[in-house]
Amino acid sequence: MSQHQTVNIVMIEDDEGHARLIEKNIRRAGVNNPIRHFLEGTAALKHLFDAPDGPAKNGPALVLLDLNLPDMSGIDILQRMKADNSPLKRTPVVVLTTTDDKVEIERCYDLGANVYITKPVNYETFAQAIRQLGLFLSVIQVPDPDMD
Amino acid sequence: MKRQLEPNDLMLNSQRRANRAIFSAVAAGFVMLAVAAGAVVWAFERSQDYSELVTHTVEVEAAVANLNRLNERIEAARRGYLLESDPRFLETFDETAVEIPVQISRIADLTSDNPDQVKRITRFRALTDRYLSLLKDSIADKQAGGTGVTAASLLDEEDIIIVQELRKLSDEMGLAERRLLIAREASQRTSVLISTVTAAISALLLVLVAFGTIWATRRTLRALTATGLELQSLNEDLESAVTARTAELQRANAEIQRFAYIVSHDLRSPLVNVMGFTAELDAAIKPLSELIDKVEEQAPGLVTEETRYAVREDLPEAIGFIRTSTEKMDRLINAILRLSREGRRVLSPGAVDMNTLAGEVVDSLQHRIDENGVTVETEPLPTVVTDRLAVEQILSNLVENALKYLAPDRPGRITIRGRKNLGRVLIEVEDNGRGIDPRDHERIFDLFRRSGSQDQPGEGIGLAHVRALAYRLGGTISCESALGEGATFRLSLPTALAPQQGANT
Repeated sequence: MSQHQTVNIVMIEDDEGHARLIEKNIRRAGVNNPIRHFLEGTAALKHLFDAPDGPAKNGPALVLLDLNLPDMSGIDILQRMKADNSPLKRTPVVVLTTTDDKVEIERCYDLGANVYITKPVNYETFAQAIRQLGLFLSVIQVPDPDMD
Repeated sequence: MKRQLEPNDLMLNSQRRANRAIFSAVAAGFVMLAVAAGAVVWAFERSQDYSELVTHTVEVEAAVANLNRLNERIEAARRGYLLESDPRFLETFDETAVEIPVQISRIADLTSDNPDQVKRITRFRALTDRYLSLLKDSIADKQAGGTGVTAASLLDEEDIIIVQELRKLSDEMGLAERRLLIAREASQRTSVLISTVTAAISALLLVLVAFGTIWATRRTLRALTATGLELQSLNEDLESAVTARTAELQRANAEIQRFAYIVSHDLRSPLVNVMGFTAELDAAIKPLSELIDKVEEQAPGLVTEETRYAVREDLPEAIGFIRTSTEKMDRLINAILRLSREGRRVLSPGAVDMNTLAGEVVDSLQHRIDENGVTVETEPLPTVVTDRLAVEQILSNLVENALKYLAPDRPGRITIRGRKNLGRVLIEVEDNGRGIDPRDHERIFDLFRRSGSQDQPGEGIGLAHVRALAYRLGGTISCESALGEGATFRLSLPTALAPQQGANT
């Protein structure tokens, strides 16, 4: 990860329980990066693009994105982030959702999602998957956002 | 439906009435024909009778005339002999005297049926006898040497009276016959008239019936054509109605499947939480229990029986129940999800060799077949144009079920057979297993419903899945079984499944 700045993890997940379980298991994998959690798309977008401490203005980030949000689809957020003129187009996005629809998965990768993970229903598998994701997060390189 | 039937009923009724009318008209026509023929035959017989009667009358008249002639001849012969004593006259006299009674007898025979004539002929015969004896007397007188003339002249008085009477009688007889003939002719004319009129009326009625029948038949034919056209258009309407209804059903089905998908999907989210936090709780028991152990060791007074019981017994038990329940719920939700996903899959019909397919299904279950010592027999199966994967899943489920519910007291035997029947293909999977109570034959195809003792693992999904698949393939599935007597599952599929136009998601 960046030598100067820690990578912030932005988690956009409408289910608080899921969010808590995801966080717990990421921590268990030894990932200590700060995690910012948002329950809905609007607030998340505001933080991503406009907040002074958000990824666009301040340092590298990684986004954990759920597709089923109360106010919008996670796809909209993905589209905004991966748009050509977006400062966050290189920011890694991990789609983490319950949908395992083939069409949905294809669409997310087409739009530029970096990883797509289906939440397993079985908790043990779920916990394991999140821990593996945590391990993965601890080793990947995240670029700095374009701040020109 | 009912409203549509009513005009049909009316139409049928009127048709039936028309048919009955035509039938009676034709029958009446035949009766007329028979009557006319009868009248003609009757008239012919009458005229034949009449000609016989005419012959008879003529015969009688001729006989009477002959008798008159004989009478005159005998008189002439007598007179000749009395005048000239020529033996030739005597000869003629004798001959004629023999002929006369014969002639009388003939007339009597001819007129024996008429009492008046019989009376006359009797009288005639008596007079003739007298006359002949008078004549013979005069001849005998002449032969004895008398003049005979005197005898003749003496006798003349009576002779003339007799002759006159004879003539009168014979005239009467002739007249009577003639009168009879005239009367018979009149009756003959009447009967001929009657028969002619009958025949004419019959012919007229026949013509009327013929015209009526032709008219009625033409009308019926026209009605029939109209009905045929109507039927055709109704049929077309029905087809479009069925198409529309099918589309509607498919839309409704797709909606239900979408609903099932969304619901099961959305149920998963909270379930992940329940299971997740249960696991967290479970994990939390370990340090807690360690803490209790430590406290018990160092300060036993701090641990109450209640705390110990809560941590060691209550918590693990509660967590255990939550676990098994959520796991079951998870399996059910997954089943719904699988069913709805299966319903959304686009079917791709192709020619499926059922023999190969059955072989593959049996091979995939070979391990369990051997394990249970089951014999599986596959009879020759027809080829079906359908979705291969769906049929494979159906057959696999049915064979698996047969393997699962064996009767413990006898070696298992499973037969797979099939045949073509009226544009459909029937595939049967028969086993000699424990059987299914007839009350449950419908229920077993419902989701999450099972029958018999619940000694085998399962959620009651297999047959529901089978039925959903069968319906999607345009088929049906039914069960025939009695408790303890094995079961036969019968899958009926159309021989060719129409290709789908697209996914109905």
